[in-house]
Amino acid sequence: MVQWTSVDHPWETVTKAAMQKYPNPMNPSVIGVDVLDRGIDKQGRLHSKRLLSTEWGLPSIVKSIIGNARTYTYVQEHSVVDPMEKTFELQSSNITFTNMVSVDERLTYKPHPEDPNRTILTQEAIISVKGVSLSSYLEGVMASTISTNAGKGREAMEWVIRRLNAEIEELAATARGTIRTPMAAAVTEK
Amino acid sequence: MNSVGEACTDLKREYDQCFNRWFAEKFLKGDRSGDPCTETFRRYQRCVQKAIKEKDIPVDGVDFMGPNKDKPES
Repeated sequence: MVQWTSVDHPWETVTKAAMQKYPNPMNPSVIGVDVLDRGIDKQGRLHSKRLLSTEWGLPSIVKSIIGNARTYTYVQEHSVVDPMEKTFELQSSNITFTNMVSVDERLTYKPHPEDPNRTILTQEAIISVKGVSLSSYLEGVMASTISTNAGKGREAMEWVIRRLNAEIEELAATARGTIRTPMAAAVTEK
Repeated sequence: MNSVGEACTDLKREYDQCFNRWFAEKFLKGDRSGDPCTETFRRYQRCVQKAIKEKDIPVDGVDFMGPNKDKPES
């Protein structure tokens, strides 16, 4: 199941934002991100291996029965940024609860072929549910969740980009403020 | 954003700041001149690898003791 959506920002902006995607309000269940490894290959592409921890918000009574540690799901992600070809590809799968379900997601960010100020995001999810007779039902449920999440992916990018732009504006305003004050003082002294 | 290991969050933030700056200002612009973050990454990694072992997180390619991924709470 592949879906695509476009983000109205150039590829470099989106890639910068995607690297700092979490936290964002569209993905509240991601509560921890760590880089496990990172390096540049011979073709100049940056590879990153990351660990994401997610908390699905089980009610506390369930947590007290099965223990806190077991309510986290861990996902491992491998990504590659090619600054020459302008591609950012990510692939992630869960590494816990693998005996029950396997969710394998792939995302790619590429410049829009007709408009360099836009970026195309494609998402694909491969879900398998093991040894459960309701597997096709569960796959359907998860597929519709992931399809809702495709739009969220774009919203998350917009949110992170706005946040990064606001930080830059704040810095610029602070710089202007420090220059203006001594000038105002010089004027009033006259 | 926090680290998987609570004690590592400060080290993670320090590394992230360094990396994000290098990534945006150098790497994406085609500047391949040295990575300024290797030292902070090393410190951060030592902490994270320890936390992963302690929490028994079944990361691929990390030294993990024992074949079972779903051990009961000990």
